[in-house]
Amino acid sequence: MPEARTPRTRSKGPAKKSEAKGPAADAARIAVVGIPASGKTTYFRFLSGHFGLNLPVVYVPNRGETAPLPLYGDLDNEVVLEETTYETTDPTDPEGGLETTTRFYVNRPMEDKRKLWVELAAGREEQGVLTKYPLPTKFNQFVEMKMHFRYGTTGGSSLSRPMILHTIDEAGGIISDYFTYDRLWVTSVEQEVDERQCKVIPHYDSWRPDRRDLWRRGLTLLSHFVHEADGIVLLLSPALSSLRDQAQQVNLARGVFRFCRTKNVPLVLAVSKADKLRDFYTEVEHVVRERGYTSRFDPYDFLVHKDGAGMGTILVANEGRGISVKEDVFLISSAVSSGEGIPMLLNDFSLFPQGNGGEVPGVPVMVNTTLPLARICERILEKRQTRGA
Amino acid sequence: MTEAEPYAPFPAPGAAKERHILVLDLSKSMLAPLPDPTEPGTEQQKIEVARTAVYRILENAAHTGSFFGLVTFTEAVRVAVPLTEIQRENLPYIEGLISMLQPSGRSAIWDALALGADLLRSVNGGVRGTMVLVTDGWDNSSNRFGIVHPDIKAYTPGPKQSLVEYILPPHSELTLRVIGIGNGGERDKGVDSNAMGVLMSELNHRSRDLAIPGAFSYQEVLTGSQLFNQMVNAFLDVGYEGSRPLDQLHPEELARHAASAARALKEPEQHATLGRLAGPTVHPASTGLEPAPAFGGSPLEVDVVSAPGGAPPPYLRDRYGPLGVVIESFLAGEYDRALDRLERAKSNLPPVTRFYWQARIYSQKGQVVEAARALLLAWGEVERLPKETRGRISRRLALLQARIQNDHETETLVHFIDETESHLERVDPKFRDQLIGLFEKLMDLRTTYQLTRLGQEGATGDGAARHEDAVESIFSMLQDCRLQNTSGDPQIEGALDFIEICLAEMR
Repeated sequence: MPEARTPRTRSKGPAKKSEAKGPAADAARIAVVGIPASGKTTYFRFLSGHFGLNLPVVYVPNRGETAPLPLYGDLDNEVVLEETTYETTDPTDPEGGLETTTRFYVNRPMEDKRKLWVELAAGREEQGVLTKYPLPTKFNQFVEMKMHFRYGTTGGSSLSRPMILHTIDEAGGIISDYFTYDRLWVTSVEQEVDERQCKVIPHYDSWRPDRRDLWRRGLTLLSHFVHEADGIVLLLSPALSSLRDQAQQVNLARGVFRFCRTKNVPLVLAVSKADKLRDFYTEVEHVVRERGYTSRFDPYDFLVHKDGAGMGTILVANEGRGISVKEDVFLISSAVSSGEGIPMLLNDFSLFPQGNGGEVPGVPVMVNTTLPLARICERILEKRQTRGA
Repeated sequence: MTEAEPYAPFPAPGAAKERHILVLDLSKSMLAPLPDPTEPGTEQQKIEVARTAVYRILENAAHTGSFFGLVTFTEAVRVAVPLTEIQRENLPYIEGLISMLQPSGRSAIWDALALGADLLRSVNGGVRGTMVLVTDGWDNSSNRFGIVHPDIKAYTPGPKQSLVEYILPPHSELTLRVIGIGNGGERDKGVDSNAMGVLMSELNHRSRDLAIPGAFSYQEVLTGSQLFNQMVNAFLDVGYEGSRPLDQLHPEELARHAASAARALKEPEQHATLGRLAGPTVHPASTGLEPAPAFGGSPLEVDVVSAPGGAPPPYLRDRYGPLGVVIESFLAGEYDRALDRLERAKSNLPPVTRFYWQARIYSQKGQVVEAARALLLAWGEVERLPKETRGRISRRLALLQARIQNDHETETLVHFIDETESHLERVDPKFRDQLIGLFEKLMDLRTTYQLTRLGQEGATGDGAARHEDAVESIFSMLQDCRLQNTSGDPQIEGALDFIEICLAEMR
C-alpha cells in the first residue's frame, strides 16, 4: 500500500474556504470516533493494509461461518486510504498561514513488501518519525482520514456498495467534547462553523489568525463528519489507567449513544487494543501458535459478566438501547503486541513465497478488525432497506 | 442478595464491595456563600465546602478501596470520576479535578440522577448501590428526564422520561440521599424542597409497588458546617505526644513495652479499662463488611492525624470542618477556646466525637473529674455505634482513659493493638485475619492466666496446664504468621516480636 501522491497547497493569512472532496454519490459514510490514543490511526492504517495488500485477519473466537465477510477493496478506485492534513505553518512566522497536504495510499503491490510493516509495526515514537503524526493531539493540525472499500458481494459494483470509513485524526479530545456537550453545530453540509461558536475554545481570541482559521475549519470538518455519518463505530480503549481518560471515554460514549438514539444512526462498538487484556491475549496467542485450535472465547461473558475491559458501566447501561452487546460489540486489535512494543508476527507463506530458502518475515497479527466494519455496514444497509420499504 | 442472582459486572467477582455515586451540583448558585454560625466571619462558598468534602470522601474511598464515582452537573451532565475502585495513585488526579470544579450555568438535576443510576446499573437492568445528591437549586435544565407528577413543572420543553421509573426499575436495591442546601424559600436561593419531597414520595411508592428494598431520604442544610457534616461523618483523633511507632523502637525498648503490656493482661483488676475492649478486636475488613463511606450513613470514618511537635496539619480546617477548628485550638494550647468551639459545633458532630473531645480537652486542662464524666458519656455512645466502627473508636477511648488513670501498661497494650491494626489495612486480607485472630487469642490469655492464679490457691487443679496449652497454641499461630510474612514487613515483624515477648511474660 505505497504512498502515491502528495499534492500540497499553502495559503498565507486568514485562509480561503476549504475545497471539500466530493464523495461517491451513493457511498455510505461510517464515522469512527474515540478519545485520544483510542487507536483510530492504527485502525485505519492496518485495515487499509488488509484491503490494499490482503493482510490477513485472525478471528477470536473463530468465526462459525465458512463464508468470508463480504468486505472488499474498492476495485474501481485504487486509492485505499486518503489522509489530508490541515496545519498551520511555522509557529515563529509572525503572519502565519495554512498548509493542506493529502497523502493517498493505493492498493498496488509494493516492490519490497517488507518496508510496509516495518512502518506499520512501529511504535508511537518511530511512527512520529515515519509518518509525522506524533502524539499528543497537536494544536496546529487536523488530519482527515478516509478509507475506501466496498460491502456486499463480489462480482461488480451493482452487487456491492461503496463505503467510506471516515475520521478526523488528531482530534479525539475535540470529538469527545463535541459529543459530551452535544455541540452539533451544523445541520447541513453547506453550513460552516462560525467564529462565535469557536469561542467555546479556551483562549481562542488570543490565537494567531491562521490558528483560529485552522480551528474554525477543523470544527466545520468535525461537524460535517458527524452530520454526514450513516453509521458510527465507537472505539473504546480498555484498561485506561488514568481516571481522567476513563471519565472522558464514558462521557464520549454517553454522548455518542445519545446522538445515535436521537438521530437513529446505527452504532457499533469496538474495544480496541484488546490484546492488552490478558485473557484475550492468551486466547489470541493460542490461535496464532496452534493453527488447529478452535477458540470458543465468549466476548459477551468477558465484557459484561467479568467486566474484562472495564466497559461494564458503558455496556450494561446501554444494552438494548440502540445496541445489543452480543451483536454490536467487538474486541479488536489492529496489531497485537507481544510485550514491550514487539509485534506478534504471523508467518504467512502466501504473502512471502519462500525463495532461496530465505527467512519469511511474517506480518503483524490483526484480530477481528473487520468484524465491526462488516456489522456497521450490515446495520446501515438494513436501515436503508427498512426506510426503502 | 443471593449468589445465584445476577449482579453488576463490577466490582470483580467475589468482592462484594459497596458502590457509591456522588452527584454534585456545579451550577452557578454554588458560588454563593454559606453562613457558618460556629465561626462568624469565616463563611465559605458552597462549592468550597463541597470540594473539601469530595476530597475527603474520595480519600476515604482510596483508604478503604471501595468503589466510588462522581457525577457533576450544570446544564450539562458529566462523569467526573467513573465508578471505580479508588487507588492511592489516583489521588493527584482527584486533587487536580477538584480544583477544577468551577460552578457555572444552570441545573439539570434529574438528568444527573439518571446518569448516576446508569453507573450503578446491573446486568439485569436493576440499579444497585448508593447515590448521594448534593444540590442547592431547582431543576431548570433537564432535557431527558423529569418527575411525572401534577405538582412538578418541567422548565424545559419536550417530552420527558420518568426519572423514578428509570432510576428504580425492577431488581434494584437503591439508597438515595438528597442533601439540599438552603430552605427552598425562594427560587434559585435554595433547594426545591417541594420537588425533592415529591421525588422521595414517588420513590417510596414505587419501591413498595415493586416490593424491592430501597432507602430514600431528603435533608436540608443551612450552614457550611451542616453541609460538611452531612457529607463527611468522622471520628477524628490526634496522636499523643511522645508515642512512637513500633518499628521505630529499639529492640530493648520493644521488649520493655511488651513486658509492660503483658502486665496489663496478667492483672485485669488493676487494668479495668481492658474490660471495655471485651469481645473480639475485629477490624471491619475482617468481617467481610467494608465500612460505608462517611457520607453514606451511620458508620463513622475514624482518622488519627499526627501533629509532630504539636503543630496542626495545614489541612485540618479544610478537611475536617468544625472539628478541625476545635483541634486547631487544642493543639495551640487554647483549651478554653477549643471547648467553646466544640460547644458551638456540637449539633453538627457525632455525639461520641463530641464527648471524646470534651474529655480530651478537660484532661489536658487537668480537670480529671470533668474528663472522666465526659469519657463515660462517650463510652455510652460507643454502644450505639455500628459494630464495624466500634472497635477502633473504643481503642481511642481506652487510650485516653489509660492516660487519665496513668495506666501505662494498658496504654502500651492498646496502643500496640491500635497501631498494628491500622497498619494491617494495607496487608493481604487473609493474612490480616490471621493476625487479628492472634490478637484475640492474646486477649483471651487474661482468662486462662487468672485460672493459673486460682489454681495456686487450690481452686482449680488443671488451670496451669490449660494456660500453658493456650500459650502453646498462640505460639504456634505466631510461627505461622512469621512464615506468612514473606515480604518481611518490619512493622509486622515488630508486632510479632511484641506478641512473642508478651507470651514469654505470660508463661
